[in-house]
Amino acid sequence: MSLIKSMQEKILGRPSSITEDMVRSALSSIMDPDLGKDIVSLGFVRNVVISGTDIKLDINLTTPACPVKDSIKTQAEVALKNLPNAGTVSVNMTATTRGQVTPAGSPIAASLGQVKNIIAVASGKGGVGKSTTAVNLAYALAARGSKVGLLDADVYGPSIPHMTRPDAPMQSNSNLINPPMAAGVKIMSIGLFAGGDKATILRGPMVSGVIKQFLTQVNWGDLDYLIIDYPPGTGDIQLTLSQTAPITGAVVVTTPQDVALIDVRKAIAMFDTMKVPVIGVVETMSYFVCDGCDKKHHIFRDGGGARVAKEFGISFLGDVPLEPSVATASDQGSPAVVSHPASSAAKAYTEIAGAVASQVSIIHEAYKDALNHFSIVWNSQN
Amino acid sequence: MKPESSLTNAKGPAVRVKSISQMDDRTLGITWTDNESSRFDVVELRRKCPCATCIDEWTHEQILKPEQVAETVRPLKIESVGQYAMSIQFTDGHKTGIYTFAMLRRLAHLN
Ligand SMILES: Nc1ncnc2c1ncn2[C@@H]1O[C@H](COP(=O)(O)OP(=O)(O)OP(=O)(O)O)[C@@H](O)[C@H]1O
Ligand SMILES: [Mg+2]
Ligand SMILES: [Zn+2]
Repeated sequence: MSLIKSMQEKILGRPSSITEDMVRSALSSIMDPDLGKDIVSLGFVRNVVISGTDIKLDINLTTPACPVKDSIKTQAEVALKNLPNAGTVSVNMTATTRGQVTPAGSPIAASLGQVKNIIAVASGKGGVGKSTTAVNLAYALAARGSKVGLLDADVYGPSIPHMTRPDAPMQSNSNLINPPMAAGVKIMSIGLFAGGDKATILRGPMVSGVIKQFLTQVNWGDLDYLIIDYPPGTGDIQLTLSQTAPITGAVVVTTPQDVALIDVRKAIAMFDTMKVPVIGVVETMSYFVCDGCDKKHHIFRDGGGARVAKEFGISFLGDVPLEPSVATASDQGSPAVVSHPASSAAKAYTEIAGAVASQVSIIHEAYKDALNHFSIVWNSQN
Repeated sequence: MKPESSLTNAKGPAVRVKSISQMDDRTLGITWTDNESSRFDVVELRRKCPCATCIDEWTHEQILKPEQVAETVRPLKIESVGQYAMSIQFTDGHKTGIYTFAMLRRLAHLN
């Protein structure tokens, strides 16, 4: 206890008390850098309990994956301890993921009604590490305490079952299919169905039917994030997905090569046409860190993904090194963020997950009043 | 032309619908997420149908002549398409037009 504090106690007989107003005003200088407002006006400060000079409260963020969570906690503790006479200070960090509201009557209500955010992971061309990104993003968000689902919409080349190995078989209740879990994440893929590996023979209209089923007849339940691994390119499936479900935003994956970057522009333009906000660009297989010298070696021209992001004025979410462990982890059915959490690739995916979660919170701030689905019947007089 | 992103467009995030309702026999009202309100004459919306049979895809020339649309045409049903557009099913059986919110805002600003 400080000298002044103990002097005061001696003079007054007991420490002067702290009010909730004092607590709130002390915290009102702490900003959420993503939302650009202070944590008090954002309504993050909750359950303030003051007993004498001891302060206990919750700070409820918009996502458990918030990258500035620790910094906000420290700032709050410092601000509270600096209050005159402050006793013990206990700041508990919680999160309620912001999400969209799906009206009860909509065709997706049964399946996606309790899904707060739907994130598309897309790419302009194949083989750029899109599925690997989708899987690691899903598991990085789950590791931070979010409820996550992963939908494999790449019906012509489903790879999610192989990369995650869901444990339980699928079951259906009345008219919804229950997705099996793999290490705490709900998984759905055409590859889980008998004969699903022969999906390449499906024709256009059937594919669109399968995609619609994934979004209307799967029991996704209560999820903070549903990650969708899109097929590569800009075709009908992508359109069906965006027309059937309210996609919160899209993550566009690319490699640094110039050829991939041409396709990335097409992918961004497609989401723009469908008015799906582009959350940002991820560059994979960017560089490798060699065992000998620990230096980053850029195999291709440096910074292509960042350049495209800048050109479109969208966020660059990060780059992921080329690391053999990433590929072997996927092959063994356990994503790198789970099986090799200390690798630089896993760290990169985790940072990207934090950036995605922040951007999603920003999108919700902009669209918090928007209707996601409407249907009106005209009342004609003639 | 420099492409613009839907998120960080200089004009702010692309608008979406906050509320939508029938105002009177032939007027549709929409309030957007930026709080701007627009009113649309539904007969005019039928005449401005952007579908491929009403507008030539290549020349952007209007194929549908205004006089081909009766003053008595009304919507039957208006439904959202994704988060960027809506479709209107009309009493004359036409229902292929996808009216993007961007297009509707442009129309509103013309009036
Ligand atoms: N960071 C990485 N380091 C090393 N290998 C990687 C990395 N990311 C992906 N790979 C490997 O590259 C290959 C392609 O990755 P992935 O399947 O994720 O790409 P995709 O874009 O989904 O491809 P497709 O178009 O076939 O669906 C896989 O063998 C994967 O294991
Ligand atoms: Mg893939
Ligand atoms: Zn038409």
